[in-house]
Amino acid sequence: MTTPNLSPKLSIEELKKRACETIDKRQKEIIDLAKQVLANPEAGFREFKTAQLVAQKFQELGIQHQDGLAVTGLKGRIPGGAGSGPTVAVIGELDSLVVTEHPHADPVTGAAHACGHHCQIGMMLGATMGLLTPEVISQLSGQIVPFAVPAEEFIEVEQRLEMRDQGKVEFLGGKQELIRLGEFDDIDIAMMCHTASDMGERKFAMGGTSNGHVVKFVRYTGVGAHAGSLPHRGVNALNAASFAIQAINSLRETHKADDTVRIHGIMTRGGAAVSAVPSDVRLEWRVRSATPNAVVENSIAVDRCFRAGALAVGAKVNITTIPGYLPMRHDTKLQDIFRRIAVDLVGESATLVMPARRNRGGSTDMGDLSHIMPACHPYTAGAVGPGHSSEYVITDYESAVINPAKIMAMVVIDLLADGAKQAKEVKSNHRPLLTKNAYVKFQRERAEVAEFDGAA
Amino acid sequence: MPSKEDLKHKAAEIIDAKADDLVTIAKTILKNPEPGFRELKTAKLVAEQFAALGMQPRNGLAITGVRADASGSSPGPTMAVLGELDSLIVGEHPHADPVTNAAHACGHHCQIAMMIGAAMALTNNDIVQNLAGRIAFMAVPAEEYIEIEFRDGLRQAGKIEFLGGKPEMVRLGEFDDVHLAMMLHTTSNPAEQQICISNTNNGSVAKRIQFIGRAAHAGGAPHLGINALNAAMMAMTAINFNRETFRDEDSIRVHPIITKGGEAVSAVPADVRMETFVRGRSLEALMDANAKVDRALRAGAMAVGADVKIQTIPGYMPLQQHKGMAEIFRANAVDLVGEDNVGYVNHRGGSTDMGDISHLMPVIHPYIGGAVGLSHGATYVIEDYSLAVIKGAKALAYMVIDMLGDNASQGNSIVGGQRPDMTIPEYLKFMRNLASEETFKGA
Repeated sequence: MTTPNLSPKLSIEELKKRACETIDKRQKEIIDLAKQVLANPEAGFREFKTAQLVAQKFQELGIQHQDGLAVTGLKGRIPGGAGSGPTVAVIGELDSLVVTEHPHADPVTGAAHACGHHCQIGMMLGATMGLLTPEVISQLSGQIVPFAVPAEEFIEVEQRLEMRDQGKVEFLGGKQELIRLGEFDDIDIAMMCHTASDMGERKFAMGGTSNGHVVKFVRYTGVGAHAGSLPHRGVNALNAASFAIQAINSLRETHKADDTVRIHGIMTRGGAAVSAVPSDVRLEWRVRSATPNAVVENSIAVDRCFRAGALAVGAKVNITTIPGYLPMRHDTKLQDIFRRIAVDLVGESATLVMPARRNRGGSTDMGDLSHIMPACHPYTAGAVGPGHSSEYVITDYESAVINPAKIMAMVVIDLLADGAKQAKEVKSNHRPLLTKNAYVKFQRERAEVAEFDGAA
Repeated sequence: MPSKEDLKHKAAEIIDAKADDLVTIAKTILKNPEPGFRELKTAKLVAEQFAALGMQPRNGLAITGVRADASGSSPGPTMAVLGELDSLIVGEHPHADPVTNAAHACGHHCQIAMMIGAAMALTNNDIVQNLAGRIAFMAVPAEEYIEIEFRDGLRQAGKIEFLGGKPEMVRLGEFDDVHLAMMLHTTSNPAEQQICISNTNNGSVAKRIQFIGRAAHAGGAPHLGINALNAAMMAMTAINFNRETFRDEDSIRVHPIITKGGEAVSAVPADVRMETFVRGRSLEALMDANAKVDRALRAGAMAVGADVKIQTIPGYMPLQQHKGMAEIFRANAVDLVGEDNVGYVNHRGGSTDMGDISHLMPVIHPYIGGAVGLSHGATYVIEDYSLAVIKGAKALAYMVIDMLGDNASQGNSIVGGQRPDMTIPEYLKFMRNLASEETFKGA
């Protein structure tokens, strides 16, 4: 699609105003989109209805796009009307969590938007609508890629491993997989905005970092036996796993505060029937730390704990280590553009810039992207309740969807107007930590399968 | 020739006449408690009593053991009558030594008194002339398997090889010429009544364990430390995770203590030491549980990346008593306390080095009442010395008369009827193979 350059040249401030007016005009439609996603929550790599909704909206807006990227991703493409220049991605994450008790949980799947990603889809489409304002897009250089990406939440590990075995994905996080597939090869700058519930009086927060991590799928194999009459013939895989969890806890005192270590997991299978010694027990585990090196160190220690569990009772253990996410490295110049616009919109006192070392503890595959290109991942207010819990809901859709839609639209205008001067500066100032190929190699090296027989 | 009944009657008269002396002997030992391989005062008392009966005691066997023999008038089997010299260590016990905390919380002082009482009767000419074979009165050291570090020091100094008194006496050849053995232990369990016939006891191995971590400032640099105490805790957890695999009928017991749990609270513990027994009713079950405990100890080390040194020390063999001897003993018990006051217990979870002897020859190890309180605890005291010592002495004497009287016809029949599980060389080889040391690197 090309937009003919009809209007007289407007100032950047005027472009921003026009984009915001469009967003204001379509506010109800944008918020309804978010609510429609909320009502149809789908966990990662299964976001078919959500993807269809985005596709439909792309069509309505006349945006050329590809779909089915990394199973469910959609990548739109909007060329600016003012010639060539860098490509800026405005990202929205498609996937929900699984939180059965959430008030908006799907009654069948338990999927629920307990992390506000539905707002991201709303704001991504809202920003796109603002940017498509004819007098705006006509004055932007380069391209805009509204990008709906799958599977940011690193959950349902066993199911995703099956998809991997079937050749549907290689990496289990959506952006990781899209990077591998080359879908970020033609993108120069990436941006998204995440809702948050811990903002106090602030409307926007940016900066800080997130944890890197690796993911473990652990399977203990014991020997089943009648738990009443033949327990001496059994090997209790649940006891092996319980021991391992206690062993992991006994290491916590060795974690360095600076490493922001988070080691946690769930048991996805804890035995088949209470009358039998459990012989098949499965864990999904997460090892998070502030630096890739600390992730490796802690991953080694956790693997040792898993082996010790097998040794404790003479069980077997199979530990599949899955490449996880890298710590977030915000591009300071990009972030500063975002900050200035946020200050314009909501005022200085409602905008918080966290120090670069401030680690929120969680992880995001935006961290992976931030290792290969300028990226930022700020937070917007509007949610209440602890993230990933049943209490996490959006109470202020204007803050959660409309404000960030406007800011992202305005950031794109700042980047791509005036011959994409600022986008070119961001690009040339940025020193990527990894090339795409180096990134894929690094992640592939994290993947391993280890087996240990505690009875041998 | 007097009948066995006549001889028993005579024995009872002698013991009754010496009753006060015998209770005094028991109480003297009670007041001078000495743990195993340190029973110097007690051994001296025994040797004096044996000598006073005209026997030639040999002292210093396995450091403190005393043996004196009395020969019958004709050839026959040798029957050992054992009394255990040693006390426990129970600081809170009312009769504890204020300096050493040693205390007779298991009634061994009564065993020595009843053995001397039996010797008083059986060395009497009117009796011993009518017995065949020989009686070996043996005061044996160190039945309680405690103070493992001290005893291992004796071992390393070449003073002993095994850490229990009877295994050591076997090694020294003191059982080479013995064909039958018996002893009688006090009990405080009312369910076991006044005299109790029992069948089996657990066997055991002992373990000395050292978890080796890395010390570091526990506040400033815990990430540089490796916590050996956590390794030990995890090892105990691992042991507990295996308990469901222990069969009821195997009576497995694993009960560790921590003898060193860290140096200073401000440092990550780097040297943590543990002792444990592993007990089981059969050698097979015991060895299976022992392997599981070793694995659990290694898992504790692996959990935190520490090292563990595991020293396995042969403990006691499971006790299996001779059913024929037990029948004969039971008849005497009925005579002494009446049918209604004779109890039976099939298995006891504790261990005794009489188990070792039971693998080499027919033995019995029944129980006699008179005690109250929890065995090995501060409340275990003898309330009825007349039962625990006087009737005990008679029961021992009657049994010897039954076995060696009538030209030792019953003794010979029992000795000839049972092939022991092991010869003494086989036993010593087994024990030596059981001793092992390993270091496992958990990192």
